Amino acid sequence: MKQQFYTHLIEIESIIIELDKLDLSQEQKIHLTGLIDSSLHHTILDAVLSELSDSDKRVFLNNLKEDDHSKIWKFLNEKVDNIEEKIKKTADDLKSEIHQDLKEAKQR
Amino acid sequence: MKFTSKTPHYEYLKNKWTLRHRAIQNKFWEKHGQSLKHLALGSLGGLMLLSSPSPQQLPSHEFKVSRDDILKGYDQNVLLAQALSDKIPKEVRPLDSQEERDIINILSRNFGFRVKSEIDNIRLNRNYGLIGGEQHLYRYPGDNLYAHADTSSDFAKYGDAGIAPGLGAWGYFAPSKQEFSEIDKMRERYYLAVQTFLAPGFAENFGKFRDFFKFRKMLVVNPSTGQAVVATVGDAGPADWTGKHLGGSPEVMDALGLATGPRKGPVLYFFIDDPEDKIPLGPVKVKEEA
Repeated sequence: MKQQFYTHLIEIESIIIELDKLDLSQEQKIHLTGLIDSSLHHTILDAVLSELSDSDKRVFLNNLKEDDHSKIWKFLNEKVDNIEEKIKKTADDLKSEIHQDLKEAKQR
Repeated sequence: MKFTSKTPHYEYLKNKWTLRHRAIQNKFWEKHGQSLKHLALGSLGGLMLLSSPSPQQLPSHEFKVSRDDILKGYDQNVLLAQALSDKIPKEVRPLDSQEERDIINILSRNFGFRVKSEIDNIRLNRNYGLIGGEQHLYRYPGDNLYAHADTSSDFAKYGDAGIAPGLGAWGYFAPSKQEFSEIDKMRERYYLAVQTFLAPGFAENFGKFRDFFKFRKMLVVNPSTGQAVVATVGDAGPADWTGKHLGGSPEVMDALGLATGPRKGPVLYFFIDDPEDKIPLGPVKVKEEA
């Protein structure tokens, strides 16, 4: 999967270590990790878009489409205070839920 | 009689995470759908598919997420495979000088940068050979396999390859985790092991050859499909007796469409003439006007 503009902010090592401890086939791993990545992606985009006006959303999405990370960050830093922290917090909240699910799955 | 699932962990997580994923998507569209649907982006749906895996489309639990990018490469570069088909020898052997010239011209024209079999009077023992899948390499002291994944999908695709117990021929990619940079990460991600020790003149010019090959940028092409990747030399090998002529990182093998089955196959591999280091590492597509 390609790098997203927020990849460097999101630590996923702890999730994959736990996932790797489960007895899963390759297909099962691919399916579950796809769900994690897509959930994180939608959640982070939601968090970012929620901070932007309609016209700024348009600029952000165009930058996203061009996949120009430095342009994305320049724009976001101009428009939103502490955007990195907000993205990290959003991802951390979802990761906590995922960790809890992994804990429960192990008890099954 | 009590029925139990053979894979209770998976069933539990699949059900829970599918529901959550659906809820997240619904919330996203409820909040932003109205304001986004007028945007001139083609469609946001298309945008999301481009930038994110789409597990909601998976028929229960199939491979679509992982193999999607390989198929994209295949579609784009299939014309290159056709152009190469009558230039490639039937058996996997070193190219003769005419074949080498023809293929270099085809590749340079198709990718829009210059590929070469020789730079600074240094060449490899061959440019057409069998590539085999290698493991990940330690990138800095204290590195581990899990840290190699940027996303959890990366882990699912490339984690099973494992990590080599020893270091690459040039040691770590960075002296410490703090000094580990994006370029170091990409060099390990798209690394090759080539038979530097079989290059003509290697023994007589060890120091010069060692420095020349370190992170030397190369183009690798699967001539059967046209899939191609820009990679760097990150290790020396494989040994002559293995019958293989070069090795590729798990990501290189994936980009070449050789990540499954026996994890080996014939490839073309040439130096890239890129003195200003402008050509990015990773899968590469044929230029549209080629």
